[in-house]
Amino acid sequence: MHSKPWKLLLVVMAALALVAGACGSDDDSDSEDTSANTLKVPQDYDTIQEAVDAAAEGDLVLIDEGVYNEAVDVVTPNITLRGTDRNKVILDGEFELENGIRVPETDGVVVENMTARNYVTNGFFWTGSDYYKGSYLTAYRNGDYGVYSFDAYHGQFDNSLGWGSPDAGFYVGECYPCDMFIDNVDAQYNGLGYSGTDSGGDLYVINSDFTNNRAGIVPNSGAYELCYPSRGSVIAGNRIWNNNLVDGPGINVSLLAQSNGILLGGAVQTIVEKNLVWDHERGGIISVPYPEEDARDIAPDKSTWETPCEETLDNEPAEEVPDWVIWHPWENEVTGNTVESSGMADLAVATVDPAILGSPSDGVTTASLENCFSDNTFTTSAPADIEALAPCDGDPTSDDWANNELDLVGLMGNPAAEPPEGLYQTTPEPPEQENMPGDVTEIPQPYTGPELPDVDSIEVPSKPDDS
Amino acid sequence: MAGTDQKFLPAVIALAVIVLGAAAAAIALSPPASESAHLHASRSPSLSGEYPTPERHTGPQGRVGQFIAKCAYSHSAPDDPIVHYQHPGRSHRHDFYGAVATNAFSTPEQLLAGETTCTKTADKAAYWQPTLYDHDEIVEPVEAIAYYRAAPGVTPTDVQSFPFGLAMIAGDQTATSPQVGEAAGWTCGIDPILTPMPRDCADQSPLHLNLTFQDCWDGVHIDSDDHQAHVTYSTAGECPSSHPVHIPQLTTAIKYPISGSGHDFRLASGHTYSAHGDFLNAWEPEGLEREIQICIHRNVVCNLNNNKDDDALLQ
Repeated sequence: MHSKPWKLLLVVMAALALVAGACGSDDDSDSEDTSANTLKVPQDYDTIQEAVDAAAEGDLVLIDEGVYNEAVDVVTPNITLRGTDRNKVILDGEFELENGIRVPETDGVVVENMTARNYVTNGFFWTGSDYYKGSYLTAYRNGDYGVYSFDAYHGQFDNSLGWGSPDAGFYVGECYPCDMFIDNVDAQYNGLGYSGTDSGGDLYVINSDFTNNRAGIVPNSGAYELCYPSRGSVIAGNRIWNNNLVDGPGINVSLLAQSNGILLGGAVQTIVEKNLVWDHERGGIISVPYPEEDARDIAPDKSTWETPCEETLDNEPAEEVPDWVIWHPWENEVTGNTVESSGMADLAVATVDPAILGSPSDGVTTASLENCFSDNTFTTSAPADIEALAPCDGDPTSDDWANNELDLVGLMGNPAAEPPEGLYQTTPEPPEQENMPGDVTEIPQPYTGPELPDVDSIEVPSKPDDS
Repeated sequence: MAGTDQKFLPAVIALAVIVLGAAAAAIALSPPASESAHLHASRSPSLSGEYPTPERHTGPQGRVGQFIAKCAYSHSAPDDPIVHYQHPGRSHRHDFYGAVATNAFSTPEQLLAGETTCTKTADKAAYWQPTLYDHDEIVEPVEAIAYYRAAPGVTPTDVQSFPFGLAMIAGDQTATSPQVGEAAGWTCGIDPILTPMPRDCADQSPLHLNLTFQDCWDGVHIDSDDHQAHVTYSTAGECPSSHPVHIPQLTTAIKYPISGSGHDFRLASGHTYSAHGDFLNAWEPEGLEREIQICIHRNVVCNLNNNKDDDALLQ
């Protein structure tokens, strides 16, 4: 569908050409610069769509202040769409249009410094598109996701706000290895602050704020989409607090995840480190299974987890699938976090045997999941003394897994009340957001992919002044 | 040469015996349609000999380009603007989705001018199917989920838009035994495996009726006397010369709030074997064209349907 080798080659060649241009004579670089144009909306083109359609590779579509009732499709590769003022360049779907900006199978598209609100599905959406970047974006009151990538590789979301979506403020789905990061974003009033179904591998969620969602950060696995399981994500340096929203929007799966800070729902080999997590009515950082009824496939064996997503798309599902498939949360590492004031447990790990749901036992126990916990600052855990039971370094000094076991049935059997349909449409307005730095009229260099973060340099953040 | 042929003859005969034997064994082992619990998509549509049937996508969503309109249940009436146009009350009872004003007098132009229950507001089409009864009680459906894709094997960029006003019927309303092929079938949730009768479904994946419409058009007529002759199904990605125009493969999944066991179903058209459904195209032409170009031609997933917002998750 994308990421075909020849396309990757083209991007690499384009990058090399750029480097060659930069190293060439002044004349060469001048001619390179003059080939890219700025297309202004509404000065040169009445609509964003007209400007995007008229743009050529390398161009900047510069959108001036105004409210645009448009659903824009971008099929010109390697262009940048930029607002002159993030708070005053507003795409508005009026709860009629589907997506603010949709980028289908088109590489190198950067969208920055603008707002998309009131769309039936998504604010900003890349699907099947590589080398993508969403930066200084505000997405609010959109019916599915705020800022969303699916089957997309080599990208980043940064300095953006996802606000008031019933599914997730930020979502990364169906990619492995994704080669993307989410940095310094803010998610509020959503069902889930961040969600990533069946995605992972060089996928980082860092240095961001998640508050007043139904649940904060929720990578999860399931055979209802492809490229399962969710694996190898890194969640580091985030502030996650008071995700206990009960009177805001939320799809039903978010009601199950309700009132947890970081919930690993059947995600595996996730690294959760140096986050500050506080004030959750249920769990701070919890690693739990996702029980999927009538699933279309079984959970794949660990030996397949490093297989790139694209090589698994045509795999035939298992012939025999039990009524319930348990997506166990294998091998997650939770280190160096500070977790406070959680109603059930600051740190927790648990799973269930499918036998309790009437399917054949798989023999997996909480102890056998090989999750580990070290160097965290916390008060309560389930099971008790979790760092002695399952340290990341060194041998366990306890084996009493039964002491204060997590009440999974109590956790998952008491979802929050279902909100009324369309509640997202009444989410309050977000406050003004910071504009992108620099000269907004400057034509940018083509985007050639993310510089992945140095997680070692990340430190546990401190609380915001007004929290 | 002759000597050489003779020399290999025993081997050829042996091979033929093996191949034919295997084929015979396969035939002997295959259950007849009426006994088959699961009708698989690999079944050749030509098996019926008289009633063309679709080849379907049976893998999970996320692999081939698609767009989806979710159209809430609108209303019910004994009307059918395709089969019994201008004859209200002559039809069995139908459940309607999409265009909100569909009745026996509806024209595509009228539908286009009205409102819709679909999430894609350009979708003013009318979708309908006979009402389902459980122990003689009407089952009010939840919604019709309309998937638009290139049929298996079809080059996505070959797919053209439906002509405005195109009428299509999927499934055989006269069937009194399991329908051959998979134009119509029952399933649970988003499971692509169909059965000729409803089966017991889990809470998280309730009962659905799936209808897959024709994806080859004759390029001329938007309807025909039998409402079938102007369209047919592709085979291995090819449309026959009589119907050379590739159009999107539309699959509508009718979702019912039904799970568990102990049901006694029938359709307004008769036995549940008689499952069928209708489509009358009144999409805003530009909106439909755009979704086809963006999602089908570029082979990307524009929408997904899953169980993340299913009520049963909370039961």
